[in-house]
Amino acid sequence: MAPMPIRNRWRRIAGLAFLTAGLLAAGYTLYLDLRVRTEFEGRRFALPARIYARPLELHAALRIPQAEVEAELRALGYRDRASDSEPGWFVRRADGLEISLRPFVFWDGLQAATRVSVEFEDGRVKSLRDSTGKDLPLARVEPLPIGGIYPANNEDRVLVRLSAVPKHLVQALIATEDRSFYKHRGFDPRGVARAALSLVSGPRAQGGSTLTQQLVKNFFLTPERSVQRKATELIMAVLLELHYDKDEILETYLNEVYLGQDRDRAIHGVGLAAQYYFGKPVERLTLAESALLVGMLKGPTFYDPHKQPARALERRNLVLRETKDQGFATMEQYTEARAGGLAVNPKPSVGTSPHPAFLELVHRQLRREYDEADLRSEGLRIFSTLDPRAQEAAERALSRRLAQFDREKRFGDPGLEGAVVVTDVQSGEVQALVGGRDARYRGFNRALDAARPVGSLLKPAIYLTALIDPTRYTLVTPIDDEAFVWKSRGAPDWEPKNYDRKFHGKVALRTALANSYNAAAARLGTELGVEKVLATVKRLGVERELQPYASTLLGAADLSPLEVARMYQTIAAGGFRAPLKAIREVTTQDGKPLRRFPLSVEQAFPPEPMYLLTSAMQDVVREGTAQGLKTWLSPELAIAGKTGTTDEQRDAWFAGFTGDRMGVVWIGYDDNRAARLSGSASALPVWGDLMASLEPEPLALPKPEGIEQVLIDPQSGLRADMLCAGARELPFMQGSAPVERAPCASDIGAAVEQVKERAKSWFDRLFNR
Amino acid sequence: MRVLFLVLLIAGCSSVKYTAPVEPPPIPPAPEESLPPPPPAHVETAAVAGLLQSSRADADAGRLGSAAATLERALRIEPRNARLWHELARVRMKQGDFAQAETVAARSNTWAGSDKELQSANQRLIQEARAARGMTGR
Repeated sequence: MAPMPIRNRWRRIAGLAFLTAGLLAAGYTLYLDLRVRTEFEGRRFALPARIYARPLELHAALRIPQAEVEAELRALGYRDRASDSEPGWFVRRADGLEISLRPFVFWDGLQAATRVSVEFEDGRVKSLRDSTGKDLPLARVEPLPIGGIYPANNEDRVLVRLSAVPKHLVQALIATEDRSFYKHRGFDPRGVARAALSLVSGPRAQGGSTLTQQLVKNFFLTPERSVQRKATELIMAVLLELHYDKDEILETYLNEVYLGQDRDRAIHGVGLAAQYYFGKPVERLTLAESALLVGMLKGPTFYDPHKQPARALERRNLVLRETKDQGFATMEQYTEARAGGLAVNPKPSVGTSPHPAFLELVHRQLRREYDEADLRSEGLRIFSTLDPRAQEAAERALSRRLAQFDREKRFGDPGLEGAVVVTDVQSGEVQALVGGRDARYRGFNRALDAARPVGSLLKPAIYLTALIDPTRYTLVTPIDDEAFVWKSRGAPDWEPKNYDRKFHGKVALRTALANSYNAAAARLGTELGVEKVLATVKRLGVERELQPYASTLLGAADLSPLEVARMYQTIAAGGFRAPLKAIREVTTQDGKPLRRFPLSVEQAFPPEPMYLLTSAMQDVVREGTAQGLKTWLSPELAIAGKTGTTDEQRDAWFAGFTGDRMGVVWIGYDDNRAARLSGSASALPVWGDLMASLEPEPLALPKPEGIEQVLIDPQSGLRADMLCAGARELPFMQGSAPVERAPCASDIGAAVEQVKERAKSWFDRLFNR
Repeated sequence: MRVLFLVLLIAGCSSVKYTAPVEPPPIPPAPEESLPPPPPAHVETAAVAGLLQSSRADADAGRLGSAAATLERALRIEPRNARLWHELARVRMKQGDFAQAETVAARSNTWAGSDKELQSANQRLIQEARAARGMTGR
């Protein structure tokens, strides 16, 4: 083979190298083109799932003080000043409020902006009228947003169409950031020259990036600064301009930009920024407000209007001047806009959620039905069951009491912890959930995840198991509260002691529960059979498998506050078991309904034994271990509940219900130290504080058909008459009441009863009934 | 260029779709004709009366999901209104959810007090639901 001439060879190598370089460059450009097109096209902004509280429904006779309505409207960002142009305000009138409600897309459709007048009287809504003075049956206030499930980096945004963005915002943006935006093809040669110069002369001068380049940088690239990156940015900007028109690029830019930080939540896009800083939709931003947002683009932290108002104001005014100088604003508009202050809303500072514990519950329930990725990107709207009033009350009650106990006990750090669950008695909706003393802290959620010994909280299941059989047990059946030893093979003897270290002999069943006697409960429970009692626990809604040991009966079983809530919810609902739910509806971001979580109940127990059990639990509050509750709540509310305290008082519980709400409170140390606080001394006050601030409904269970009321002498547990001092009417299943008369029931009394009976039958005969 | 085209095609198809149904598909024809007419309305608060009316309109138009949702909304306002529970039981019946129809009617009964008429309406509904359940296993 003849050797190739050297010159020729070099030429070939050079040619090849050139070709390779050219191919590589073309390939790289092609690759960038692919990235630009696929990512820009395929890129749908990841939108967080937005979670809302329950909407407040105003109607005549609603029990709510005016101040609470005002507080909710304020939380929604309603201004307390009337405005003709902008809905979303309230003003006080002689007997109440005039409210201008914003439009809102509810689960069942759009509700237009309306104006209503609400009259209040004695903590109730007296009347509700529309703007013409006509009575209005119902007005739904938009629900409070309580957080979201966010995409990566907790980016939050509200997408807007370019057509919705005010012209002056776009003009201010172009005047300040990229004057030749509508003329250039992705880059500005002068800008590039300036940037190149700055590379040589040092990193002093910056800028020169067009909006397109800024978008490319935010979209595709890392923030590092290098020649190569700058070149890539340039090529991609040109490619972007080749494929898309100016308005598409501008719209994407306006939705992409970073405009500040709300704790751990990143504020992106002008849509959300308008809401966050000014409490209004982007359409209604004024020139001055638009100029502030545009000014902040340069450095949202540096020009933070909350923390650096002077700096932000100066920057805004600069933007206004540029806008005027570019001919986008008249001298008059400029002077007017400049004259005003920043007028930003006070910083709400809620971060990703003010109620992270409740949000966690919502998130877990959602995860059963939706893909995590969809939750974090599809902008779903989740209508939850959170009642902001109940939630605030629960948070306040817990943190205040814990601080007080810490001061009194001085057990050092870390301090006492606690958890609260509040549900709606009828529907099983979770209204409030607190996972620890710092309700804003997103971390260990004790309400869901702290499984702790429940102590006496399981006792109602023992008594319910007994009361189901009226031939053997009634509320006055004597139960033996003497020393009790339980022997079982392979386990040490079990000898439950009473809280007061005494035994009480024979006591009525309801008294044994009211005073939470351990020996009596253990004897009764083992008599009935541990398995049988645990089956009752399960039917009440506790899904966790409990150990079939006798000691489980007295609460040597670990449950979370939410599990306890499930059990007590079934009792509160008269034996109807409903899953505890935190979500009512889910819609797409534009309001199309996707999923409803309907009310669903199962009848776990017949109403009669539930009625008897509830009556006994009312005695716990009336005369038993929870009598302290009367400090907070009138005995007329007839509240039912149960205290729970575990060994060495490591855990303190109270679970109970009014006519409308059920609440569970747990208090203890995370590291299981002895808290030296009983359920009635610590959990009970939290429960009392909480419920007292929510105007509870009295508990009035409907009397089932199979129940009769019989006058009983508490001393003997026998039938009494009206001559017996201290006699009480107690419920019994038809025919199960004692027949024997108490010693106090005199012959006269008996005679009177007899006369009454005769008179009744005489009347019956007379009217042929 | 062909690759580019392909990628674009794929990108165009990649948007996420939801499959979660809004309302369950209509299930076996509920024995609607055999249902007795609803007991005569009694006096509700204006708020609840309005909701009840719109729920009935929804139910008549076959929008059973909305009808149920509206009743639940009314029940949040008057949770002890036995008539609302009864109406909900009827809607559940029409939806073919016989188990819920039965329980919700039982729930209505607990709040029915001395309203004999409502009690017997609930009783009938419970029997219908049981019979339907026996047939369909639902």
